[in-house]
Formats: sequence, C-alpha cells, structure tokens
Amino acid sequence: MEQVFLGVAIVLYLAATVTALMGVAVQSDVPRQLMPRILWAALAVHAAAIVDRSIETGHIAITTFGEALSGLGVLLVAVFLVVQARRPLMALGAVVSPLAFGLALAAAAMHGGVRPLPPALHSIWLPVHVGLAFLGDAVFALAFSASLLYLLQERRLKAHRGRGFMRHLPSLETLDRVNYTCCIWGLVLLTLGIVTGIVWAHEAWGRFWATDPKLVLSLVVWGIYVVLLQGRMTAGWRGRWAAQLTIAGFAVIVISLVGVNVLSLGYHGKAF
Amino acid sequence: MERGIVLVGLSHHSAPVEVRERLAFPDGRLEPALRGLVALPSVAEGVIVSTCNRVEVVAFGSDSQAVESDIPRFLADEHGIGPDLLGTHLYTHRGRHAVRHIFRVAASLDSMVVGEPQILGQLKEQYAVAASVGAAGRVLHRCFHKSFEVAKRVRSETGIAEKAVSIGSAAVELARGIFDRLEDKTALLAGAGTMGELTARQLLSGGVGSLMVANRTYDRAVDVARELGGIPVPFDRIERYFPLADLVIGAATGEEFLISPHVIERSMRERRNRPMFLIDLAVPRSIDPAVNAIDGAYLYDIDDLEGVIADNRGARAREAVKAEAIVDAEVDAFWRWLETLDVVPTIVALREKLEAIRKGEVQRHLAALGPLDARQREAVERLTASIVQKILHAPLTALKRHQTDAADAFYIEAARRLFRLGSDPDPDDEEG
Repeated sequence: MEQVFLGVAIVLYLAATVTALMGVAVQSDVPRQLMPRILWAALAVHAAAIVDRSIETGHIAITTFGEALSGLGVLLVAVFLVVQARRPLMALGAVVSPLAFGLALAAAAMHGGVRPLPPALHSIWLPVHVGLAFLGDAVFALAFSASLLYLLQERRLKAHRGRGFMRHLPSLETLDRVNYTCCIWGLVLLTLGIVTGIVWAHEAWGRFWATDPKLVLSLVVWGIYVVLLQGRMTAGWRGRWAAQLTIAGFAVIVISLVGVNVLSLGYHGKAF
Repeated sequence: MERGIVLVGLSHHSAPVEVRERLAFPDGRLEPALRGLVALPSVAEGVIVSTCNRVEVVAFGSDSQAVESDIPRFLADEHGIGPDLLGTHLYTHRGRHAVRHIFRVAASLDSMVVGEPQILGQLKEQYAVAASVGAAGRVLHRCFHKSFEVAKRVRSETGIAEKAVSIGSAAVELARGIFDRLEDKTALLAGAGTMGELTARQLLSGGVGSLMVANRTYDRAVDVARELGGIPVPFDRIERYFPLADLVIGAATGEEFLISPHVIERSMRERRNRPMFLIDLAVPRSIDPAVNAIDGAYLYDIDDLEGVIADNRGARAREAVKAEAIVDAEVDAFWRWLETLDVVPTIVALREKLEAIRKGEVQRHLAALGPLDARQREAVERLTASIVQKILHAPLTALKRHQTDAADAFYIEAARRLFRLGSDPDPDDEEG
C-alpha cells in the first residue's frame, strides 16, 4: 500500500512541476490555482505512504536513507504550501515540485525492507530530534529554491531579457525576503536539532560531544547561516551574495545528508 | 532634374542608441543646423526631426537627387563623423514615401511604442523651430500641418492610443521584477524634460510612492515637482539623493554621463545594497552603461525598454492597419496637392482649359455665322487658336522661366487660382 501511495505522490509531483512551469511561462490563472491543489493532494498521499510505513515498522519511518529522503520531501512540500498560502509564489513551486518529485522517486527506488530499530534509537528523542533537524533542512531547501530563482531573475534583469520563458518570476525583493525568512527559521530549527541531538547523545551514551561527521557538518552549516544572518543584519548583505551563500550552505547540507549516509560515517551513518 | 521631397534619417529601427546619440541635435543646436541645411544649394526647405528615437532630415528642393546626396554629407559634417559610419544606418524615402513616413511618424505608427503620444508634441516643437528660422517653406508647412491632422484622425478614429504601452508603463513592468511593491519606493527624476516628466508621471500612476525632481534649471524642477506632487532637489548636489532613490530616471542630456558608476557604488553602500533601478531615457545617454555591472543596480536604456514593449505589439496590429489606411488616404490627398505645384502639369492644364473654352465658343457661334465651307471654317479655327496662343504667351513664358522655388510656386499658384485649374488648394488651406 505504501508503494502505491508513493507512486501516486510521484505522479502528482510531476503534474505539479509541469503546472508550475506553465504558470511561470504564461500569464494565466489556471496553473496558479491548480498547482497548490495538486501539491496538497500529493502531500496527502505522500504523508499517507509514510504513516503506512510507520505503522508497519512500529516507529516513525525516518531511519533508513530512503525513509529520510521521503520524509524530507513531505516536509519541504508542507513548508512550501504554508508559505504559498500566505503569498502565492508559483515560481517557487516550479523549483519545489521537481525537488519533491526527485526525493520521492529516490525514496521509492531505495525502498528497502523494514529493519528493526537499534535499541539506542528507541527514544522519544527520535521523532523530536530527527523531526526538528529535517524540518530545518526542508526550510533551508526552500531558502535554496528562492536563492536559485533569485540568481535566475537577477541574471535575466541584468541581461535585459524582458521577455521569453521565466518572465513571470517573482520580484528580487520578494525572493530575497523569502530567503531571509527561511534562513532565520532554518537556523532556529537547526539549532534545536543540534541541541536535542546533544541532549539525546548524553542520555544514550553519557557524552555531550562526539566527533560525529554529521555533527561537524551541521556545525559548519550552522556557522555559514549565522555568518549570513549576521551579515544581513549588520553589513547590509542581501541579494546575489546572500543567495550564493545560502546555496553554499545548502550544498553542505546535501553533502552531510548524502555523504554521511552513503559512506555510513559516524553514528548517523550507522543508524540508517 | 525633378523637384521633390526627400527624407533621410535613422531611427530605432535602423540604428542603435550609440549611433543615434551621435547624430542627435540637442535643442540649442537645432537652429544653426536648420540654417546650415537650407543654405545647401539643393535644399529649398528643410525640417529636422531629432528625438531620442530618431534623427530625420526632411528637405524639399528642385533637384531631388541632389538633395538626396547632400543630406548624408550634411549630417556627417554637422556631427564631424565619417559618412561611411552613416551608410548602413541611414534610410532614404523619396516623394510619396517620404510624405507617408512623416505622416506615420506623427501618427506614432513608427514609434518604438506604437501609439505613444509624445512624438506628436516633439514633432510640433521641432517643426515650430524650423518655421521660426524660416527653414520650412510652403511645401513642408503644409506637409507637417497635414501630418498633425493625420495624427489627430488616427487618435480619434482608431484604438491605437488605447492599446499603446508607454515607456513609463514598460518601466513599471520592469520595476515589478525588482521590487515587491512600489508604494514605499522613491523615484528620482534627473532632468525634467517632457519625456522625463511623462515617464515620472507614469511611474507615479503605476504605484511608485514618492518622487524627487532635479533639473538644471531649478525653477523647472520646482514646477514639475509641484505638478506631480514631488519634491524638487538641487541638480548640482544630485549625488546626495541617489541613496534615497530606488528608481532613477536619467533624462538629462549633456556632454558627458551625468551618473557615473562611482556615484552609484557609493550610493549602494549607503543604501545597504537595497536594489536600484535606473532608466536612461536620454540620448545621448546620461547614465554610464558600466552602472549595470554594479551589484544590485539594474540599468535599462531606451533600447532595452523596447524588449518589454515589443510584447504588446501584437494586440495593436489590428488598430495599426486602420491607421495605415487613414495615412494612405491622406498621403494621396497631399500628393494631389503637391502635383499641382509642378510647372508642367500647370501648363498642360492651362492649355487644356483655354482650348476647351475656344472649342466650346467656336461650336456655339458656328451656327450664327451661317453655312461655312471648309476653308472658312478652318480660318475661324485658326483665328481663335491664334488668339488663345497670343493670350497664353506671356503667362506661359513666366511660368516656364525658372527663378527661385518660392517665386515658381507663387506663379504656379497664381495661374491655378486665376484660371481655376484642376484641384485647387483647399479653401481652408493653411498657408505659412
């Protein structure tokens, strides 16, 4: 059942991607109204897939790499839909939808059997710590998407290409603001993720600190976004430089997510 | 040798702004240039149209081929550039085509933004200059007055003006790609000429919150600021106001760039890198193109705006077809009038008219003379023909003797009026 749900979600993400791209290319209200609905539907079935799997495994299904990608996809779409409800941003949907599509597809491809959870992970901290950390990642992914669009729109405006595909991108100010807001929330969530991780580590192993690659990389990410926000608040950083730094920070997140799990490094690597 | 109207020029269709700005005639240079133009031996009348989108010389002379070859040289000499540079950018319209072109320009059919209203005002101003220095004569007076009428007809009889998109609204469209909302943004107008004022007005109606106005003549800045609800700022200390400006309209022409990258870089620091949108409406340009390379500064010159504007052209195509039909009809009417100014048709018409009178009278009185034999009848014909011949001799000699163009025109007109020949000029004709 879980695979069916995931399959439907993948198809819907693809449909949302096409709709959003159409919305960016042509001035029409149809894709504008259609895209959020498709994404809400996709979110529902995708969440159903995760719930289904969680019931099967007996714990929240975010412990294998495939499950992690799937969970990240759901959170990204959920965060986007919350932002989108406040302020329609079709173009952001055109980046988020294919990202969600890729994440769900990878999750389906990596679908493995259910593994028993190591005893160390049997804790209330599992959903709390992983939930916060992944929510932070999802928010940073949104910041990344906005930054990507910012750089596109910036290039378009600098090159004086007033027309053609991508003519309905949001304004630079809007994209910069989305980026800023997402970076703040991402940093808050990341901080909470790191703190809960440290507390949990202390409870499980009696140590606060371990030279865990995931922790080290998370601190690097934390540092990048602290510097970025500091620069924004005091030195007037914004625009292209802020977008580039956001993308750099997100690249480290991707390395930490993929690298650590693929290479099975440290506690996080072994856990999944 | 054939008399005729010739138009030589370049526009946004044929030349980039870099070339147009080198050929432009700023206000102060227009009068001496017009005097130079009509001083050319081939040119009897001349008008120069110089806007940011076009530089066109309209001339009328007795030898249109000579006029045609003289104007490019005149343009090259005036601006001190090689004629070969002009070669690829210049176009030449002769006769009817020249008239059609003037009418189309006035009706804003040849504008970058088809249907935009500024061009008519600019045309009127520059024609007035040509009239005031005596460069425009009878033919061009009528040609331009007709073009203004054509513009009025096109405006009232077609929807072209409604469909039009202005430089200002194109700028608003671009600004929306940069700014989230315009209500809290401030625009700085640098150079409060007609074009700048209009664009500022359109930005304000497009939602821009507030406006600062700078102008070389401070009084003008005060006037425009009052008119638009803005604040006048001193032109010589304009750099101080860039940090406050989210939008800058550069509309002041000058010898060198008014706004340098250095100034904008400094302003960006003061603005804490908040983006700046700069629009350069001036030709020659008033903002150094290098400004566009500065992070957060987006500079568009008048050519760049065309890209935005081009999108809206499709919708206006149908209205333009109607407008072209009006232009065609008016060109025909003007051309019929112009032809009456020629000597040869006048002479032919005069001969035909008198011959018709002679024939009619002979016919009428033949019966009264009783039956005539062939010889007598021929004598009557010869007698009457010879009277007509004698009467015509002096006027025809006067008409055929070429003097100055103005004198020729006077005699032709006199002959046409005295003998009521063919298509008379309109009774409501505006003679300059």
